Amino acid sequence: MKDWAFYLLTAVGLALFPLAIHPIGGYSGLATEILLLGIGAMGFNLLLGYAGLLSYGQAMFYGVGSYVALLTVSRFFPQVHSIWLALLLAVIFVGLMALVIGIVTVRLYGIYFALLTLAFAQMFYFIVFQWRSLTRGDDGLQGITSPPLTLGPWSLDLTTRLPSLNLGPFGNLNEVTYWYPFAAIVILLILAFVRTLISSQYGEVLAAIRENEERSVFIGFDSKRYRIAAFTLAGALTGLSGALYGLHQTSTAVDTLDVDTSGSFVIFTVVGGVKTLFGPLLGTGIIEYLQNVISGKTDAWRLIEGLIFVAVIAFMPRGLLGSVPRVSEFAYQPRFRRTEPLTEPRRVSEGIILETKGLSRYFGAFAANSKIDFSVRAGELRAVIGPNGAGKTTFFNVLAGLRAASEGQIFFKGQEITRMPGAQRVASGVAKAFQTASIYPDESVFENVRLAALARVQGMFAPEFLRRSGRLGRVDDIAHDALEQLDLRDVAALRAGSLSHGDKKRLDIAVALATQPELLLLDEPVAGMSIEEVQKTDRLIRALAKKMTVLIIEHDMDLIMGISDSITVLHQGKVLAEGTPAEIRANRLVQEAYLGGYAEEARGASAPGASAETTP
Amino acid sequence: MSGDTTIDAFLSQLPGTLLDGLIRGLAYVGIALGLTIVFGMLRLVNFAHGAFYLIGAYVGLVVSDRLGLVAGLVVAPIAVAIFAIVIDYALLRRFYDRNPTSQILITFGIALVVQEALRLIFTGTTRSYIVPGWLQTSLNLGFTQYPTYRIVFAIGIVILVCVVWFFIERTNYGLIVRAGIRDRIMVQLLGGNVRQASTVIFALGGAIAGLVGAGASPIYSVDPNTGFNFLVPSFVVIVIGGLGSFWGAVVGGLLVGELQSLTTLISAPASDIVIYVAMALVLLVRPSGLFGESEIIRG
Repeated sequence: MKDWAFYLLTAVGLALFPLAIHPIGGYSGLATEILLLGIGAMGFNLLLGYAGLLSYGQAMFYGVGSYVALLTVSRFFPQVHSIWLALLLAVIFVGLMALVIGIVTVRLYGIYFALLTLAFAQMFYFIVFQWRSLTRGDDGLQGITSPPLTLGPWSLDLTTRLPSLNLGPFGNLNEVTYWYPFAAIVILLILAFVRTLISSQYGEVLAAIRENEERSVFIGFDSKRYRIAAFTLAGALTGLSGALYGLHQTSTAVDTLDVDTSGSFVIFTVVGGVKTLFGPLLGTGIIEYLQNVISGKTDAWRLIEGLIFVAVIAFMPRGLLGSVPRVSEFAYQPRFRRTEPLTEPRRVSEGIILETKGLSRYFGAFAANSKIDFSVRAGELRAVIGPNGAGKTTFFNVLAGLRAASEGQIFFKGQEITRMPGAQRVASGVAKAFQTASIYPDESVFENVRLAALARVQGMFAPEFLRRSGRLGRVDDIAHDALEQLDLRDVAALRAGSLSHGDKKRLDIAVALATQPELLLLDEPVAGMSIEEVQKTDRLIRALAKKMTVLIIEHDMDLIMGISDSITVLHQGKVLAEGTPAEIRANRLVQEAYLGGYAEEARGASAPGASAETTP
Repeated sequence: MSGDTTIDAFLSQLPGTLLDGLIRGLAYVGIALGLTIVFGMLRLVNFAHGAFYLIGAYVGLVVSDRLGLVAGLVVAPIAVAIFAIVIDYALLRRFYDRNPTSQILITFGIALVVQEALRLIFTGTTRSYIVPGWLQTSLNLGFTQYPTYRIVFAIGIVILVCVVWFFIERTNYGLIVRAGIRDRIMVQLLGGNVRQASTVIFALGGAIAGLVGAGASPIYSVDPNTGFNFLVPSFVVIVIGGLGSFWGAVVGGLLVGELQSLTTLISAPASDIVIYVAMALVLLVRPSGLFGESEIIRG
């Protein structure tokens, strides 16, 4: 939809909303309350829907926001008495609070994250409850005079009613105070912000991290900082919601920090539709409206609310709006064009590009890698082979930063990277294709590669909240180039999850390639491929190896013997032998290791051509 | 008041406080046990576990009013087990393989429904149990007098822990269950019925919560919020002990109970918050808990 049409329609909808709610029994203030609470729900949706984080502690942001706003007006700056100052302080304070709590909590996932946020919320409840001199404990803050809305010399008391205008069944316009148009403008701005945010580069990366965090880290994104940013934004929006609601009610109480408040935001968002723009608002509207209508008539309101919630989760897990079918998202037709000449990937290093000294990795008492000394020249194509369980994949994972080394050191381009986080290693030029293809199944093939190129161009963390994820020329070119090199142009517009096994594995390599690495780690790139696919991939890897250093784990001995410059044999976590393919083939120790472990593979190693069936 | 008398007062309260902490801790152990077993075996995060406790407490209340406490203690776990089986078949099955977030949401919803339905039936007022006369007395433990019922409750929880341990570690059925966690498909190939085992474990977890609910309510009484009020500390317990760990639940439960109880000596309101501080510290220093495996479960 065109932007202006979207905002026009939304504005018209917001204008009609308080009128529409009248004939079905909503009281005059309800429309305002729904919008103000909806801001908090939209914030929560950023977290649950787009970052995939279920927080059970949103009440702390909501409650603290309301206290800060009301205290600003009544205690901190009564002489200023400005609504803007109250909102500003609330948002800044809650935003900082969310930033600090986010730094602590986003390291955890699932139930741990939910419980830790709940724990923080309970602590804030306790603080607000106990700090009587400031918060008046149980009594809460009552009867705070809400400041007028000021804009330069102009000032408006928001509690004033609109002019009288009889609208028949829709009631009289004067039932509505100026709070409603104010709330409507605020929500329109926030809708614009959230809408821009979710289609911004930041939003795109956040969604990618949600879909496949491991891959996102190993194309070079600092996933934690992306999540912390989402947590902070969500907290600030929820704080704003609490501040506005408190100012509207002219009061707040400690139960705004209650677990039930956190639960309400969960219910609003899930019922309306997670990961939709309007879902949280819709959910807030439905629940608040029903509560208003039903709770006066029966005690069973909370039960009904629970039943609605359970029914939605069980039967429409995407919520009301999320269940509306949407137009296919893969309308993008790739056009292969060059906007500017492709930059040469990186300055080519010389000499030793990668070196490990005494590298070990233990799992409990088991040494998966034991004191490995290993070095690779720039431009080399080195194979790492060994019987099953020799520690090959662990070795790659430690090199890439997927697992920490227990002992020893890793040097890349002469610099020690032993403790460097995975995303940073990618940024410095180490990329990895996974044994089981690690891709974004719900994105298009092109989008998969484009994300990696974006990480290359933008770096580990770029809070581009407002920049539309347009087609950056350079990013697109890198992506196209990677697809071309892996011969995936024809499938660029398809959903990645729908690809064949072989294409998925090649896409995984293309994703790694789009980070423009100097060192490419390939973990069993042809495992499970058909003979034709193996031959094709063989060709493609040879071509890649001309441009960068390649380390490859593979069980297919034909391939290994054919393409490798040199081979390192791992056995029981140690380096058993190293040499040219011919030397390795003739090595008695190697033959014994394979025979000792696995007779079938031994034949494969010594007699090329009989090995394809040893790969699972 | 001189410093000495403060210390004297503190010391005189200490034995009783420690005992109270032990009893509360044992109640947590009982509730956390079901929670941790269900998580360990089914990988299901069950926010409805507190609701199981609550159902047990109210069923126990109704039955023991008419037929006596013992009947209440027998009927409550059975009723909760039946409820758990129904919920499992009707709703939860389809959530076993979903991400923890969906599991938390659906079980949170179920908890809400149960809590509010019980509030409608029993109103929001706090109810207490009628306990047989001989249990209302107190025993002289040498250093202090202590209510007989609490001592019997403590012994009951210890027996319960032993029985559950024996079931899981020493029976053939427990073996199937343990193997099913490691590799469902393999157990199925060997002829084990994993589906049935899942239901049994879920019902068992519920039954334990129901039994503890009926057993603990004479001490702590019951209102519709009790379920949630016990659920959150129980989660704290298993997070501290390590999610899915049997002994983690036992040690964590006792720690949390004592921690809460001892904090009341210093500041009563702080006892509500101290467990959260403890959990946050454990999560930040050792996210897998005291007895947990070293990898964090991701969602």
